[in-house]
Amino acid sequence: MKKNRLSRRNFLKIGATSAIALGLSPIREIYPAKAQEEGVVTIYWNPGHVYDTYQTVIDQFQEDFPGWTVNWEKYQWPDMRTKLLADFAAGNPPDMTAEPGGWVQEFALGGQIRSLTEFVEADGEEIGFPSDWQDYTISRNSHEGEIYGMQIHLTCGLMFYNIDMLENAGFSAPPTTWDEFLEVAQATAQGNVFGFAPNQATGYAWPWLLQNNVSYYDPDTNTVPMDTQDAIDAMQFQSDLIHVHNVAPIPIASADYEGPQKLFTANRAAMIITGPWDIKPTREGNPDLNWDVAPALTNQRQSTFAAGVSMMIPKDAKNPEMGWELMKRFTALDAELAATQEAGMTMPRKSWAVDEALEEIPFIAEFGRGLGYAEDVTAELRRTGKFGEIDPLFSKAYEEVIYTNRPASEALAEFVEEANRILSEA
Amino acid sequence: MSVTSIEPKLDLAGSKHREWVSSKTRRALISYSFLLPAILYFSIFFFYPIALEFWASLQSGLPLVGESQFVGIENYQRILQDKRVIHSFKVTIIYSVGSTVITAIVGLILALILNQKIRGRVIIRSIIFFPYMISIVIIALLWSNILDPYLGILNSFLYSIGIDGQNWLTNPNTALPAVISLVVWQNMGYAMVIYLAGLQNIPEQYYEAAKIDGASKFHLFRYITLPLLAPTTLFITVIGMIGNLQAIAPAYLITRGGPADATNLYAYHVFNVAFDELRIGYASALAFMMFAVIFVLTMIQFKIAGTQVEY
Repeated sequence: MKKNRLSRRNFLKIGATSAIALGLSPIREIYPAKAQEEGVVTIYWNPGHVYDTYQTVIDQFQEDFPGWTVNWEKYQWPDMRTKLLADFAAGNPPDMTAEPGGWVQEFALGGQIRSLTEFVEADGEEIGFPSDWQDYTISRNSHEGEIYGMQIHLTCGLMFYNIDMLENAGFSAPPTTWDEFLEVAQATAQGNVFGFAPNQATGYAWPWLLQNNVSYYDPDTNTVPMDTQDAIDAMQFQSDLIHVHNVAPIPIASADYEGPQKLFTANRAAMIITGPWDIKPTREGNPDLNWDVAPALTNQRQSTFAAGVSMMIPKDAKNPEMGWELMKRFTALDAELAATQEAGMTMPRKSWAVDEALEEIPFIAEFGRGLGYAEDVTAELRRTGKFGEIDPLFSKAYEEVIYTNRPASEALAEFVEEANRILSEA
Repeated sequence: MSVTSIEPKLDLAGSKHREWVSSKTRRALISYSFLLPAILYFSIFFFYPIALEFWASLQSGLPLVGESQFVGIENYQRILQDKRVIHSFKVTIIYSVGSTVITAIVGLILALILNQKIRGRVIIRSIIFFPYMISIVIIALLWSNILDPYLGILNSFLYSIGIDGQNWLTNPNTALPAVISLVVWQNMGYAMVIYLAGLQNIPEQYYEAAKIDGASKFHLFRYITLPLLAPTTLFITVIGMIGNLQAIAPAYLITRGGPADATNLYAYHVFNVAFDELRIGYASALAFMMFAVIFVLTMIQFKIAGTQVEY
């Protein structure tokens, strides 16, 4: 395929052709009656992911199906979840919805969304689903052997670092281990500049835990195995950055998760851990900032958390076929590459990760490599149906360690005891 | 049309109806027919959802949304052993009592000051009342930015004059007082206006008579103003307590219940249990428990205040 497909202008030009090539023909064959009908396809989306690329896909869809219009409703994730639950109760859900990770398994378990098996059998081979998707994105979107969701964005947490600050402190390269990390953080923390800015969201504790071989759930014993010395060390390391080494600020307990990115952009933090979603605000917030993305650190092993958005079709959707048709178009390789170029978003296709064009897009290549060793932390625990009850307890333990400097051994022991009690209940 | 022309018809109709229903019943039927729209409205939009919610509180699984199983009062029994619920309840009581009492006191002080004939009092009253008209969403954004410990306006100012910045929203010990302060700031204008109305209804003769008897300013306030403002105080505290016990916005918008659950208000906890944790039956039981608590507390307030309020 030609390199120039990355250009958004070219993407617009070839939109129609690629859409037809990638998905339009099959639906015409499989659902001829539906394609001939008229109607409205309602989809729910996160406002942070409203890219021109996706608008182009929708415009093309409406052109290809003259009787159909797409009602593209945008909600922040918590509001979307509330609305979806109300929709499920009222029997009036959208035809397709995005989700921030984890909802697919929860709602598949509860019977609110439909299996995609029928669609995958019809179109999967042609669009490369699931074979071209990173394997764990299929696992995290499956329930009892059936696929219920389709990953559209696949992200991971890596380290953003300020090149100038590190060079001024005598470091020509970013840290690769915990010891090096602490050394760099101590050297760069000066005055009201922090060596590292942590995030208040519990998910950001996981790179450290994963790098110390800690997992959230052990399906063999049906327990949360987080009262180990490795888990305690990983949690305590984060707390000590704030309370012992004084190289990091206490994160702000707020409704948004942009605090570290704002500090980094304002030259107030030398390092942060975040995902590709912060590339655009960092570039736009301070165009003069000299920064780069580093691989995940290594302690016992190199690892980080995987995250990202999937799409799913509610069980009571009125037009599931059209929802599926849009899912195919949103995840076409050309659409993925165009969205990457437009917004710096990283994607779940294996062919995307090895595409040479990524090397030309600033900061993205490192994320492409990171997706190869990133791990989905919560997938196994979500399958128990107890994740919703257990995760807030972990958040509380994490916050007690970070905010109140409670010893990690105490907070984790209390959390594990309560979590295992919940898991042992029928 | 003359009166006499319709009298026979009315009489005939009345005679006929008397055979089947008494006039008392007929009046009741007419009354209920007028009440029917209101009854239907409240039944559909209030009583039916409440009944449905009570039914959900006796279920586990996903009542109202998916499959569920009847568990009787198990959800209610569980509440009493749930440490997070007990913690959020304590936080809510502190928040409600703190916000209500401080708002009432500040509102009263402002009303006493601005009830005097001072220059520009109308403008000052308007300025103080203004935050009450602003959406809590805007207030949350405004104060989050002001109190941000690293990039906020307040700490930048303190830093510029040589004072170390404060961590109001990141310290579990100060986060709740900070949230209470924001709510007081928003609501004190409302309390002030209500108290001003109360003050202006107190007859001037009472003060004049007391002054003739040699009463000091403190005595005037203690024995005339305060007792005669008791109905106003009752109104402000009852309405304030009911609203604050159900508050969700400050925790949702400013702190997300943190840090370390320090501002995890009960209603926000119920919301999370229902929509984040997907335990809708348990959340319904929690909501009913709160209903009972608010009802009892309000009755106690009325009881206590009722013995001391002079109307």
